[in-house]
This record gives sequence, structure tokens and C-alpha cells, in this order.
Amino acid sequence: MAILVDKHSRVMVQGITGGAGKFHTERMLAYGTNIVGGTSPGKGGQAVVERPVFDTVTECVESTGAGVSVIFLPARFVKEAAIEAIRAGIKFLVIVPEHIPIHDMLLVRREAVKHGATVIGGNTPGIITPGEANLGIMPDIAFAPGRVGTVSRSGSITYYVADTLTRSGYGETTCVGLGGDPVLGSTFNEILWMFEEDEKTKAVVMCGEIGGVYEEKATEIIPKMKTPVLAIIGGIYAPPGKRMGHAGAIVEGRMGTAREKLDALAASGAHPCKTFTDIPETLKRLRM
Amino acid sequence: MRLYEFEGKELFKKFKIPIPESLLVRSADEAVAAIDEIKAPVVLKSQVLTGGRGKAGGIKTAESAEEARTLAEDLFKLTIKGYPVESLLVEPKLDIKQEYYIGVTIDRANYTLVVIASGEGGVDIEETAEKHPDKIVKLPIAVEDELYTFDALAMAKQIGIPAALIKQGAAIIVSLYNMFKKYDAKLVEINPLVLTKSNLLLAADSRVSLDDDAVFRHPELKEMGIEMRHEEGEMTPRERQATEWGVPYLDLDGDIGMFPGGAGFGIMGNDFIHYYGGRPANFMDSGGGPTPERLAKMLVLLDENPNVKAIFGARFGGISRCDDFAKGVVMFLKDHGLSKPMVMRMTGNMWQEGVRIFEEAKQASPELFKNVEFHGIETPIEEISKRAVELAHHEKGGQ
Repeated sequence: MAILVDKHSRVMVQGITGGAGKFHTERMLAYGTNIVGGTSPGKGGQAVVERPVFDTVTECVESTGAGVSVIFLPARFVKEAAIEAIRAGIKFLVIVPEHIPIHDMLLVRREAVKHGATVIGGNTPGIITPGEANLGIMPDIAFAPGRVGTVSRSGSITYYVADTLTRSGYGETTCVGLGGDPVLGSTFNEILWMFEEDEKTKAVVMCGEIGGVYEEKATEIIPKMKTPVLAIIGGIYAPPGKRMGHAGAIVEGRMGTAREKLDALAASGAHPCKTFTDIPETLKRLRM
Repeated sequence: MRLYEFEGKELFKKFKIPIPESLLVRSADEAVAAIDEIKAPVVLKSQVLTGGRGKAGGIKTAESAEEARTLAEDLFKLTIKGYPVESLLVEPKLDIKQEYYIGVTIDRANYTLVVIASGEGGVDIEETAEKHPDKIVKLPIAVEDELYTFDALAMAKQIGIPAALIKQGAAIIVSLYNMFKKYDAKLVEINPLVLTKSNLLLAADSRVSLDDDAVFRHPELKEMGIEMRHEEGEMTPRERQATEWGVPYLDLDGDIGMFPGGAGFGIMGNDFIHYYGGRPANFMDSGGGPTPERLAKMLVLLDENPNVKAIFGARFGGISRCDDFAKGVVMFLKDHGLSKPMVMRMTGNMWQEGVRIFEEAKQASPELFKNVEFHGIETPIEEISKRAVELAHHEKGGQ
């Protein structure tokens, strides 16, 4: 068991003929990910690493049965590509590129909710179920199959946390990158709940950072979970003054500093960690 | 990125939001000349990219041309939260009957836009929201929807705009919403929207914050002289240099040069350095998949920064490749040279190739590597952080 992807997931790549798309398609295939095809408008009929290329997502879905898509396209094309995928029936979408315009992401999220699809990113390193499927850009070396789930707003933090879990023998069920952009396709809440419902996941590490409201929102769901949640937040010593002004603060209710986030998460029942090495120590204390 | 008040008002003008007469001046002489056009009494408003300028003495009223000269001379000597005043907006002093607040922003948790209005403008709206939430009206709108006049009329009424002016008030609210959408804004505010004694509605101040990632859609901003900048304040020379090279960079007040991979560990690496008793000199983010050239430039920034006593490097290759990372470091060592100790760790995507590049370069010219301590996946990043703190400490002790 795992969440969102496993070895049976039929995965396509949007932007499969581009430099990054091709490079990472080869890597994902080498890991054993079930990549069934991809799209690149105007290049339908070609093949990349022996996988068929289509002009549109609908054609790719009809021919290959793809249900999951990974996007490797420049940020300005993501709105179109994501809405195309969602309307073509893709139920899980991974948006790797960074710097997606915020208004575009609001639209993509609304489209996803309307069609019952899950989106992660923009600026996500992707998702990996170790030993089964690796979608996106994550380096294989950090991961091993195991019993802890991770969900993070940062790629590099995901790698460090997974590497720590792997070397301390816990391993991971699934590691999810929410993404580093200001408005994201999914929040901690949805992913935490998927881990709660996954039998194999015995604990979850959530990695947040300064800014935004997604960590604070997670305090609504953590008390309802039986699976223990460990929390690590970046930016405790970040300089102030890089956040949105008054109207943002009104809506978000004075949220956003790393310290406040960590305190709020701890109060809701999460186990706070300072450094990566605190994570296996906390798991041990929880008798795992 | 944040706009100056005068830039925000330029946009207001485009959207037919009424603003007071106003002139931008860059010297005391210009301020005096402005009084020929705008009759005294006038207000002189410091143009800075930060809040709280009123409390910092950045807004003054002048009754005459002579007074305007003295006050302008003083204002041009002022720095507000570290930002020097380089221009003033000269406007007529308004006869205020009532002040309102109108704003549009994004509710990230609920994935909507929100229009906010209040009958209590001109004050800290954050405080009003906390003390008198009943005095604030909020209207969430889906990003694909338009703001209809009937909704704006209801808002204008609710915040107490007089009946004779609610159509005009509603038009201002709708225009502000349209401007927010048109320019991919994160925040736009009119605070205050002033009702004058002669029953005019005027946007007396502007606060506009745009989405950096959508600026490419608005080339007309550059034509208006609006360039990329921070959310708050202008950039330091080093930050400007880094931006030109495509590297997100912030100067901090410590002495450890941070050369991390992505933004996530860029932020958390700073915390680690603090946990072990050190102080970072900067924040930096290489971005996804940096080229060797860009990586070499990042190291040049740190090596040439006199505050930096030791360099901390970390690379966990995902979209970025360790071979490119190693090439960038070697390029820097060869072309520029390293003048301070550096400790670094590299693992992830293509790490074997990265190690090979290092080893070959080191065999060819070992002297280039004499200040470099290199680690792989077997050394936890916490140990690398501690070592960087030790090296910086040692450098300072040795001076």
C-alpha cells in the first residue's frame, strides 16, 4: 500500500520531448515507473524512449489508459496544460515547473476540485513510492521502501528527511512534494488524511516553512488523526519583512512565521523536530 | 513586488479610479515649483517601499512655497526603516469628511479572491479587523468570476458611503477588482478612500503588490518604469548583482556564506547555522537545474563579500545535477579562486559523476582545493553545518 501512486499507476508526461521532460522520463523509467506515453503538440506520432507521443492529452489517455500526468513545461504554459489534463480525465497531476502565476494556480485548483482530481505543485519535486514509482525529479538515492510517509513544501528538505529515514532503517511509504510556489494544488490537509487512511504508513513527517497558511490549516486535521505526525518547519531564523501586507494578514489572521507555525502544530498534537536527526530520535521515543 | 504610491496611482488613473491632483518631485526645488501648479496647502508624501511612513515623519503639510522648501529638504534627508527618501509626491491637502478602506487580495487557504471594504479607513486595517471585525465587509469571489456592480453597490452601502455617491463608490470597487485581475496582483488597497467636504470620492493612497511570476504578461509595466524589486525596500548592490545573474539572494548580517541547493534548504540551512551558534551572511537559492556558470557566479558573490569568513555548500541533486554542480565549483576554483575556507556536501542526481569531476580536477591542480573540505552522503548535513560554524569562528580568531 502507498498513497496516490504505485507500480500499477499508468503515468504520462506532458512536455515529454523537451530537455527536462526527456531526461526525467528516462530516469523515471529506469526506476520502474510505468510511463505509458506523453504529449507534445505538433509531435504526435513520434516516440521518446520507446513511449508514444501524442498531440493532446485526450488522445494519450484514450490510447494508453493514462490516469496520472507529470508536467514538464515552462511556467507560462502550465495553466493550459493542467486544465487540459484535468478535463481529459487525469485524476492525479504533478506540476514540476516553478513560478506559476498565482492567478493561474487558483484557476487550476478550482478545475481540479470540480473534476475530483488531485494536483500537487507547482514547483514540486514530485512524488515517490519507493521501489514502485518515482514521478518528477527526485533522486533515487535518498529513498527506500518502509513505513513513514513524508509531505513537504520543499524538494531539498524531502531528500534530507527521506535520506535520514532511510539511513535510520525506517524507510518511506510515499513521499509527497506539495511544492514551493505560494499557491499550491494541494495542501497538507488532503495529503495527511490520505496517509491516515493508508494502512502501511505508521507515522508522517510534515515539512513546512515560513509563509502562507497551509501549516496552520493542518492543525484542524492533526487532532483527528491516529497516525502520529512529526513536524519540522524551516525559517525559524529567517529575517522578517518578506510577507504580504495588511489585507493578506486580515484574511490569513496574522499567520505565517515559522515559530508560530511550529507552536500551533505542537499544540494540535504534532511532534516538533528541529533538525533532521531529531526525526529518528522522535520515532524511537514513540516506540516505533 | 511592491509598487510605490505614485506608481499605484498611475494604474488607478488607467482604471478611472479618481485620485487627487499630484506631482512627483525629486528635489526641494521641484517641490517648490510644484506649488505653482497645486495650490497650498499641500502634503509632501515620502515615496518608500515600506509601511508606517506617517509614523516615521515621512508625511508633512506645507502652507506656503517657503515652508515646502524647508520641509522637502528635511524629508530628502530622511531614511524610513533603512530606506532613503528619494522622491516625494506633492498633493493638495484634502478636506476630509470621511475615510473608507477598499482592498482586494487572495485567500490562499480557500483558493479565492476576496474584496474587503470598511467604513473605518485611514487607520491600520489589521487592527480594525482584530478589534471590530463587524466593521469589515468581505466578499469572496472565484478567480474566474467578475465582480458585479450590484455586489459592489451593496458593499458601498454597507460601509456607509452616502446614497448620492454609492454608484460612484461601487464603480471604484469594481475598477479596483478589475485592476487586481488585469495586473495579476497579490494585493491592491485604497486606504484611505476619502470623501471630501465637497462630496468627492478620491483614492488618497495606493498600496499595490504584484505577482513577480506574472510580470512577463505585463510588458507595459516596464514602459512605465516599473522594474522588478523586492516586496519591501530596494535591493542592496549585491542583491541587484545576484538578480542580474538570475539568483534569488538576500544579504543577512552574519559571516557564513551560504551556498545551498534549493530554497527549502536555503531557508532551513540558515536555521541549522543558528542552532550551532553561527550567523549566515546571506540567503541564496540556485533555482531548479542551475548551469555550472550560474553556480560559479554564486560562489563569486560569496568569495567577494568581505563579511563572509567561511562558505557552507550543500547540494542534494534532484532536478539539478551533481555533475553540473561539480563543474560549477571547479570552474569557480579555476577562473576566480577561493580566498576563504569552504566545507561542502554533495549527493543525489548524478553524484558519482560529480565526485569523478572533483577528483580529476583535484589531481590536476591540488593547490586549487587546499581550502575545500568535501563530503558525500555518509556525513549528515548537521555535521557540515557545525563544521562551517567552526571554520568561520576559527577565521575570526585568526585575524
